Amino acid sequence: MDAGGEDTWVYSTCEQCNANCGIRVRRVGGVVVKIEGDPDCPHDWGRLCAKGLASLMSLYDPYRVTTPLKRTNPQKGLGVDPAWVEISWEEALDTVAQKLREIRETDPGGLIVVSWDNNVAAQMARPWASAFGTPEMHSDFSTYSCGIALHPLTYLTNGTFQQEIDLDYCRYCLLIGNQFGFGASINSTLMAQKMADARMRGLKVVVVDPVGSNAAAKADEWIPIRPGTDAALALVMVNLLLNEYHLYDAPFIAKHTNGAYLIDDAGNYVRDKRGGKPLVWDMEEERAVPFDAGAGKVALEGEFVVEGLPCRPAFQLLKEHVAKYTPETVADITTVPAETIRRIAREFGEAACIGATLVIKGVELPYRPAAAMPFKGVVAHRHATLSGLAVQLLNLVVGGMYAVGGYRGVNLIGPFSWWQPQAEADGLLVTPRQLGRGTDYYGFRVRPPETMGFAELLPLAIGPEAIMQLNFLEPERFQELPHKPLALIHCRHNFVMNSVNPEQMAEILRRIPFMVSFAVEMDETAEFADIVLPDCHQLERLNIFPNRLRINVSPLSGYYYWTIQQPVVSPRGQARSWRDVLIELADRAGFLPDFNIILNTTLELKEPYRLRGEEKYSYPDIADRWAKSIFGPQVGLDWFREHGCYRIERTVVETYPSANMTPRFPIYFEIVQRRGEEVRRVTEELGLPWDTSDYQALPDWKPCHAFQEDDPDYDLFVANYKIPIHFQTVTAKNPWLSEVAENHPYAYKILVNADTAKKKGIRDGDSIWVESVVGRVRGMAKATECIHPEVVGISGGFGAWAKGKPVARGKGAHFNTLLPLRPEQIDWISSAIDECVKVKIYKSQG
Amino acid sequence: MARKGMVIDLKRCIGCNACTIACKAENATPPQVFWARVLEGEVGKYPSARRVFLPVLCNHCKNAPCLEVCPTGATHQREDGVILVDYDKCIGCRACMAACPYEARYFWENGRGYFPEGLTPFEEVGYRKFQRKVVQKCTLCAHRVDNGLEPACVATCPTNCRVFGDLDDPTSPVSRLISERRGFQLRAELGTDPSVYYVQ
Repeated sequence: MDAGGEDTWVYSTCEQCNANCGIRVRRVGGVVVKIEGDPDCPHDWGRLCAKGLASLMSLYDPYRVTTPLKRTNPQKGLGVDPAWVEISWEEALDTVAQKLREIRETDPGGLIVVSWDNNVAAQMARPWASAFGTPEMHSDFSTYSCGIALHPLTYLTNGTFQQEIDLDYCRYCLLIGNQFGFGASINSTLMAQKMADARMRGLKVVVVDPVGSNAAAKADEWIPIRPGTDAALALVMVNLLLNEYHLYDAPFIAKHTNGAYLIDDAGNYVRDKRGGKPLVWDMEEERAVPFDAGAGKVALEGEFVVEGLPCRPAFQLLKEHVAKYTPETVADITTVPAETIRRIAREFGEAACIGATLVIKGVELPYRPAAAMPFKGVVAHRHATLSGLAVQLLNLVVGGMYAVGGYRGVNLIGPFSWWQPQAEADGLLVTPRQLGRGTDYYGFRVRPPETMGFAELLPLAIGPEAIMQLNFLEPERFQELPHKPLALIHCRHNFVMNSVNPEQMAEILRRIPFMVSFAVEMDETAEFADIVLPDCHQLERLNIFPNRLRINVSPLSGYYYWTIQQPVVSPRGQARSWRDVLIELADRAGFLPDFNIILNTTLELKEPYRLRGEEKYSYPDIADRWAKSIFGPQVGLDWFREHGCYRIERTVVETYPSANMTPRFPIYFEIVQRRGEEVRRVTEELGLPWDTSDYQALPDWKPCHAFQEDDPDYDLFVANYKIPIHFQTVTAKNPWLSEVAENHPYAYKILVNADTAKKKGIRDGDSIWVESVVGRVRGMAKATECIHPEVVGISGGFGAWAKGKPVARGKGAHFNTLLPLRPEQIDWISSAIDECVKVKIYKSQG
Repeated sequence: MARKGMVIDLKRCIGCNACTIACKAENATPPQVFWARVLEGEVGKYPSARRVFLPVLCNHCKNAPCLEVCPTGATHQREDGVILVDYDKCIGCRACMAACPYEARYFWENGRGYFPEGLTPFEEVGYRKFQRKVVQKCTLCAHRVDNGLEPACVATCPTNCRVFGDLDDPTSPVSRLISERRGFQLRAELGTDPSVYYVQ
């Protein structure tokens, strides 16, 4: 395909970040000369960000890994030379297959597969791991990713993996700890367009963040806040809305939440003696009736007695619960002035237009053009889940869930009516099966650990990462593991940089006897591998449907759509797509038939496209069968190669499921309390030291570990923040993007509030150390007015040290070096790491 | 003849630098050469402070100082107002760089690319049109515009903050934007009359 003389455009999909924009790539004489957004793809309508545009430079990066490599130095450590020797693919595959066979015979649960490659991981690697016989397939091994604590609470509240604001109609949005619409979050390119249009239309944007970010720069108001206190701010706003301003949507709470469900003194639902259904108080009949008995008017407030037991509606409990959060006390906690708190609470409540409706294309819908959006900043804390739920209460009390202009999940209704909103037995919204792990929350059985991360004790998490790492680091802490870590296979996930302090990560990896890295470049994690296999660049890969309805197909686009990622040029050197290698390994290690059978189910292949167990299929063949199973015989792989994007316009109801929604949203998180009791019981029986104190039905603000730091030298918080020109650790090696960052006044610097810097005798441009209890990093100070005085800001996933990434090496400071892995800094509900860390800063000598 | 120009809406701009990189990719500019870039700074005192973004490029001035000082006629202006450099005529004296009040011109000294190992295939192709030791700058993507396309920075902008069009036509979107939202030019007091306008 690299023939000269041609000038052509190829449709594909970008993979520089998780947004996965539709792109078209121009190839002239076999050379990629330009990447642009695909003008026909609703994901971006032809627009593309700096990262996507720049990816052709990483395609041609001379430091790419292009041959299989074998480690000859058995010692592993940061900066330790692995002493690679080149080997043939044959030798590499034999070595890995042999190891796989051994593990599969002895203890298949000891194999861990990790990939942040969302597409292959979900489509192929997860079924591959299942066929092998291990439950340890993780999309993340880092404890640190953006959503590890966010997605559990979106599952719990909006019923989907994702979240967004209806920017087509929103009039007031509160972005807490995130930059939604400013180059970050789901569908970032589309959201940037929508956010700009909405702001021009008059949307008021309020950004709550310790760092004066790009979003704060464009906001109508930036409210700097002390890290780790977002929950207090949200809860005082809820208090003001409920108890002072009376700005809440009572009919919504009664009909569309569990706010009327009667709660006993122990915090449990009062249930019907016969059917076991939660009861509500029928005000007309003056008696308790099942929630779905069609009571005309239900009580949201008051005290009642049912079967001799006192009880109160959940909403009454919520009102009482939040009363302790007063503007004055919260001002002390957050540093946000009390009058500001009062003002934004009132603005938010009034902007919600409670009671209003809007008719769109003939469908009458609730109109609540105010939304609060929590993301990374809110959940980067020890009490991540509680903090996120606290923010969600804002959307719930004003009735903004799935309303026009409000807050919503992503794809609660699937295309072709594949799925619809569903309720569990108690009437609450459950996640549709196709949208991932949240599906299991209401049916979860807490039980003794069966897996190395103790996922069985994490009923409301999407992954067990921090606990798993703690288990590897301190195997004696929780008695014996159900399996021993025997091998790790990973692809496109640089968790040595992307996780806690790298020395701790190094120690964890030393405890895993065999490691295989699929690598495009020799990054900090691949340096720990025993075998390195050269992977393809995004412009060399074939992947069908990299955009997934679960993750990044936004209702705001107006469509459901499917795209293709296809090779624009041949793989460099001996690089092979890791997905093709997985198929090969399954064959060599003897579990290909199981893999094929599982793919039939996971890809929902239909006859005549189903796979037969005994045959070996190429990926293009599988992709073609998958496409035809969905779209029929005319729309197979070739159709996608030629056209790029297949799209279907959404109906009003598919965009706004609130039109005829019967499942209820939780406003009282009974499930959290109930699961917590189960975790407490099981861990007590097993004698495991386990913190279950955050499993509560109504969220609180609790001070995280940093607030108990008693060494006065550690007098500042450190915060990590995003800049739109880079994504995690992925893009720092790109010379164009690195060059922009080098010329950028903030990107590679350490942000210190100008006053704070002055007090410490630090001047703009000084070389300084930032030191936490676990590590220190050095960088150039940027004295700025755009950061909270108690906070040091470090952006992105910079400060690389791998020799194989010379462009990124030594540029910027590595934030995660400052993060300790220890039990007191883990959110025990989501297994996320607490990034609220205290540091000291001082000038570097010399 | 239509005078080609651009309006940049600073209210829409979020400082994402997509324009910077779109230009790099479209024009294959060498290291430390930025025909398009985004200046960033901050205004105000904490907590009423904020970062500010200012995307800049060659202004294709109507009264261009670079044009006046060029001793060889290498710098020339097309009928549509676009200012270009004829590399064959440029002698690298850099008088234009000193004259340009917008620092929009670059001198490619060493001919090196982004990796010390040598030029990538993309750079091999992309740098062919350049010459070493001459001055280069934004062409307003004349090669695209002449084929009916928008400049690359305009086409990619995720917030649609750039509008391209005919400044001479009072009904064009650029002209309307300038009159409706009081468009201004950078350093207008110099009398250069840039073809790039800004609105707040």
